[in-house]
Amino acid sequence: MIGSIFCLRLFVRSVVLGCMLCAVPAVAKDNVPDWVRTVAARPLPAYSPDTKAAVLLEETTYTVAADGSAVEHVRSVIKILRPQGRDDGIVAVPFDKDQKLVSLHVWSIGPDGHEYTVSDKEMVEVGYQGQGNLYQDDRIRSANPPGRDPGGVIAYEYEQKMLPYIGEKTWFFQGSLPRAEQIFTLELPPGYTYATVWAHHAAVQGSDLENRRWRWEIKDTPAINLEQILYRPAVSSLAGRMTVRYTSGAAPVDGWQSIGEWYDRLSHDRLAATPEIAAKASELTAGKTDFFDKTEAVAEFVQKEVRYFAIEMGIGGYQPHFAADIYRNRYGDCKDKATLLSAMLSTVNVHAALLMVDDRRGVIDPDAPSIVGNHMVTAIEVPKGYSSPKFRSVVTAKTGRRYLIFDPTWEKTSFGQLEHELQGSYGLLMEGPESQVIKLPILAPEFNTVHRKGTLHLTADGSLKGQIVEERFGDLSDHRRGLYTRGDAKQQADYMDHVLGEDFSAFKVSDVKVENAAELNKDLITAYTIDVDRYARSMGTLLTVRPRVLGEEAPPVDRKTRTVPIDLRETMQIKDDYTIELPGGYGVDELPEMVKIDLGFASYESATEAKGNLLHYSRTLTVREVALPADRYADLQKLSGVISKDEQSLAILKKQ
Amino acid sequence: MKNRTFLRIVLFTIFLVAVSPALHADQWTEPTKEELSMTSQEGYPGIAGVYLDREEVTEDRLHMWSVYVRLKVLTEKGKDYANVELKYASFRSGGGYSVNNIEGRTIHPDGKVIPFTGKPYDKLIVSKQGYEGYKYMAKVFTMPDVEVGSILEYRYTIRYDDNYYLSPDWYIQSELYLRKGHYVWKPTSKELVSRSAGREHLTNSLGWFPVLPRGTEIHQTQLPPTATNTEGQLILDLNVHDIPPAPREEYMPPISSFSYRVLFYYTPYRTSEEYWRQEGKYWSKDRDKFIGPGSKVTEAVQQITAGEQSQDQKLRKIYAAVMQLENTDYTRERARSEDKAEGLREVHDTDDILERKRGSGDQLAQLFVAMARAAGMKAYVFAVTNRDRSLFTDYYLNMSQLDDDVAVVNVDGKEMYFDPGSRYCPYGHLDWKHTNASGIRQTEGGGTVIASTVGEPYSFSRTQRIADLKMDEHGEVSGLVKVTYMGQPAISWRHRSLEGDTESFRRQLRTNLEEMLPGGMDVNVVSISQLDDYEKPLVVQYGIKGAAGSPTGKRLFVPADLFVTNEKPLFPHEKRELAVYFDYGSMVQDAVRIQFPQNIKAESVPATSHEQFEKFAAYSLTNEQKPNSVTVRRDLSLGQFFFEKKDYPALRDFYGKVENKDQEKLVLIASPTETGTGSPAASN
Repeated sequence: MIGSIFCLRLFVRSVVLGCMLCAVPAVAKDNVPDWVRTVAARPLPAYSPDTKAAVLLEETTYTVAADGSAVEHVRSVIKILRPQGRDDGIVAVPFDKDQKLVSLHVWSIGPDGHEYTVSDKEMVEVGYQGQGNLYQDDRIRSANPPGRDPGGVIAYEYEQKMLPYIGEKTWFFQGSLPRAEQIFTLELPPGYTYATVWAHHAAVQGSDLENRRWRWEIKDTPAINLEQILYRPAVSSLAGRMTVRYTSGAAPVDGWQSIGEWYDRLSHDRLAATPEIAAKASELTAGKTDFFDKTEAVAEFVQKEVRYFAIEMGIGGYQPHFAADIYRNRYGDCKDKATLLSAMLSTVNVHAALLMVDDRRGVIDPDAPSIVGNHMVTAIEVPKGYSSPKFRSVVTAKTGRRYLIFDPTWEKTSFGQLEHELQGSYGLLMEGPESQVIKLPILAPEFNTVHRKGTLHLTADGSLKGQIVEERFGDLSDHRRGLYTRGDAKQQADYMDHVLGEDFSAFKVSDVKVENAAELNKDLITAYTIDVDRYARSMGTLLTVRPRVLGEEAPPVDRKTRTVPIDLRETMQIKDDYTIELPGGYGVDELPEMVKIDLGFASYESATEAKGNLLHYSRTLTVREVALPADRYADLQKLSGVISKDEQSLAILKKQ
Repeated sequence: MKNRTFLRIVLFTIFLVAVSPALHADQWTEPTKEELSMTSQEGYPGIAGVYLDREEVTEDRLHMWSVYVRLKVLTEKGKDYANVELKYASFRSGGGYSVNNIEGRTIHPDGKVIPFTGKPYDKLIVSKQGYEGYKYMAKVFTMPDVEVGSILEYRYTIRYDDNYYLSPDWYIQSELYLRKGHYVWKPTSKELVSRSAGREHLTNSLGWFPVLPRGTEIHQTQLPPTATNTEGQLILDLNVHDIPPAPREEYMPPISSFSYRVLFYYTPYRTSEEYWRQEGKYWSKDRDKFIGPGSKVTEAVQQITAGEQSQDQKLRKIYAAVMQLENTDYTRERARSEDKAEGLREVHDTDDILERKRGSGDQLAQLFVAMARAAGMKAYVFAVTNRDRSLFTDYYLNMSQLDDDVAVVNVDGKEMYFDPGSRYCPYGHLDWKHTNASGIRQTEGGGTVIASTVGEPYSFSRTQRIADLKMDEHGEVSGLVKVTYMGQPAISWRHRSLEGDTESFRRQLRTNLEEMLPGGMDVNVVSISQLDDYEKPLVVQYGIKGAAGSPTGKRLFVPADLFVTNEKPLFPHEKRELAVYFDYGSMVQDAVRIQFPQNIKAESVPATSHEQFEKFAAYSLTNEQKPNSVTVRRDLSLGQFFFEKKDYPALRDFYGKVENKDQEKLVLIASPTETGTGSPAASN
């Protein structure tokens, strides 16, 4: 899968670093300022024993000038509580050419009370390392303060000058560390108005400080520590944040619409198609009359023939390149690929809009309009009255128009479907004045499947031989499609050995045949022959055999009390059918009991039957939801227990 | 454990003649029909791409290293090679290098040529005002219109700053197949000065460390003087062809440093022996200067060893004292400002380490040597190449291949090895990565010698896992598990304890056992004993509870050895290209006793089994049945850590048998005549 996490400039930096600014009084640069000493001396609230570090103070002041430029001042004080918290004391402030870092001062107080000031020479600047396919002009100024031991206190203060691309500032006030006190101050020039929206947190009333200054204060914000949590959602999908939207006129009525209009201005000319683009689209759709066939041809071209390679500088974090350049170079990032697809489709009379999304489900909050998001996909308008069973990811906007949501960046998602990371989340449909937030669909389990079938023969010495055919479709086929289109023969063989090694201790695999690895709208079929030594165990006159030959599907669970929502990742349906011919001279003494359970969000059923000398096992696991509230964890534990028990169940054969 | 200084070659004379940057004109290679149409490389199905050509030419006279690449993209993954990142660095004082003259083109299988007209971007990796304004950057570019079947053709030059020379390294083997490689070095004939650790040497020789396919050699050609080059020109060149990708396998020896390559160096030495003798002398002198021992160390040793008579007794006291100090490899290296705040001067010698009661692993090893010497013993430093990373070779004339320091002390007439730099390593033992490791050591009289450290017997590293469990009438077990770690497993777990605090360590221990046991069992850590007492085993006691087996209508199947329930095949692959390399030899001894309630009996118990792989590995599974209990004992011993490729089938067969046997189960059955309560599976 091509990562596209950094297609859009992320706004999680404050979450990572702790939040921002306040007006900075002059301080003696070489001494620990009094405000740091004062905060450090405050008694610490009671925290759970696994708290690594705590933010004692985070104070942000955001000052907007009449020309729209802004200055952000941040003060932060962090106390290290455990050895693992040392890394939380590393100061890292991101900046780029449009968000200049004017100053950064770092101080620390060791556990022994010694005070330190980090000099500029001791700081480093680090570039964005990318993912091997990315150029981004983001940089980080970083310091490694002394005294980063349990009991030590780290403090920093910085000032950043910026020309915001849009009149919006998001205050991220919750993260992986608890925060004792946080203050956000907004300063606006005359004639400006503002409005706030809150995500994942109840609105807090700000106080008017007069002279066009407003302040919000929050105390004792709990940490969102998901390190040891199974099925954890993204921290940012739970973390509280406040977005301030400001303008020199009246405050915008619909935030989503104004963001869409802003983006329209940013991207409009980039979407223009050239004759070359039109010619290619025409070539791809030649002879195709069906809407699905036409759009699929163009979409697959952009998906498969345009390489993911991101070049982002300044506003390039938001603004796509010109469609003509993307087409000529055959590379681009997510918004580039969405742009080119939109441009190509426009030449064959198909309208497509860009759709800003976030692959961390729950980060985009429909009630909190902002440009927080990390990915761009395409919303292809479906003609009125048209329908196709292959269109599985269709949404209807408030305008009544229907759109097929497709992500040309996800290399292994078939046209018509949507990767599970985006299902059930929200996105901003960029349709100029008709821009709006839309909910993305959750696909039916039948569109994300595994079906294993085995016809096997068991011998009296316990060895099992036969053929397995495995069909996969949807996201559950992603990894293997990648393996069979990108991996070499050794990687493919090693993978198969490891997969089978999960269920067999000594085996041989042969005659591996793979079909449809690159044809995303067809089942990926893997067929192979297995020869498993001592699959059945002889114990006196008994021979025990596990009817469930392959596949461990019990969701791993722990016994902790669940407090955060459960991210099940994807809907799916997994089926197994195995027929085992039993050795002569043996009869069935015991069979596993039939299992049937339906918990709403998921169901599981299995049955083992003996007919003559054949043992047949079948099961179906269906998962219908992508997320559950925390209080359903007991049900997930129950499901896991039922599946695990069934998977280990044995049939007992007895020598006649 | 520490940074080694690297050899920087500096021209002795100040100025050089200005050079011309133009090297390759606009010359591209016309692809052959076969190159355009090829879809795979014979013998390497599914390989991502093939280097059709790779050429590297280094001309000292021009301070330039030019690289030319022709790469055929064979799969989707091969397209990744269209993204090129070329790193370069600079210092304020000079000595850096830059990447220039990037040119390229993409050729489609139909012969269509798409020139590279894009812009290479300068990407910052890291920069710092200190360290002479060190700046580490990368030129990043990507080739246009790349598809499967494309040939990527590009070239660039790396230019070194005037007055600096850097000998080339030719890394020939990569993850791709190389059809044809051509490598050239035209070294300067000028006399150079190398500076290392404050010493300067006139260098007038060239050396190289070649790892090449059989029959492949570096050719040397001496061109006569010309009008423009009055001293003539030595040319070193190498032609290679059909180089396979570097092999990678699980449990492979640490040979990544020995893929096909040629590493050159300017050197003042004529032979390998001379290099190691002289550089060893410098290294030893530097170490001795740091070791001392100074007055503080001497005084401390007198106090520590007061009353002890034998060298062994004294050294044990000294070792224990060093082990009490903070090893900053496991905590945090302090900034100079922190030392200053504590009134500590810069570290010059072992007195300073002792005074601050902390140091890196190497510093503590050297302090231990200092203290042993202060106690009147012959003690030496031994720098080794860590066996978890690489292997030492004296053919490669470079001190940077050495990693950590261990100590050698003559105790009562016998040389013993110590690892005071590895926290919690027992007295007289080495951390596994330092065992059977080679490097350079000090000898009596101020000399040095290339040598190897000793190994540890497999019996040194033992893990005992004992479960004493009671089953209730529903088939659920509960009871105590005691795990005793000795030798290397104890060192490893103790090191893990240093990564966090008690809270995180207990979680790691609990998770470790949970992963071994049947799923869903409740595990809690009852006690951790002797965590800091590194001379004794580390003992962890757990309480466990839960369903241990799979029920059927009448029976309950319980894994005979609960501790291996979830183990997967060690060697699932039938084919193997490389030797097998474990970290160290070891023993694992399990005993699981389950007491049954009156209504449950064992119907069948796995038969006793013994397996042996020559003298190198042994396995046994035995059982002891009593009316109301079964005890299963399992021993697995691995006598050595290295197995040749030819031994793989037999070794795999041994482990296959072990893993098969490990999957056998106790078959339990309810006895209705005694309880009348039905099967043990009733509530499972």
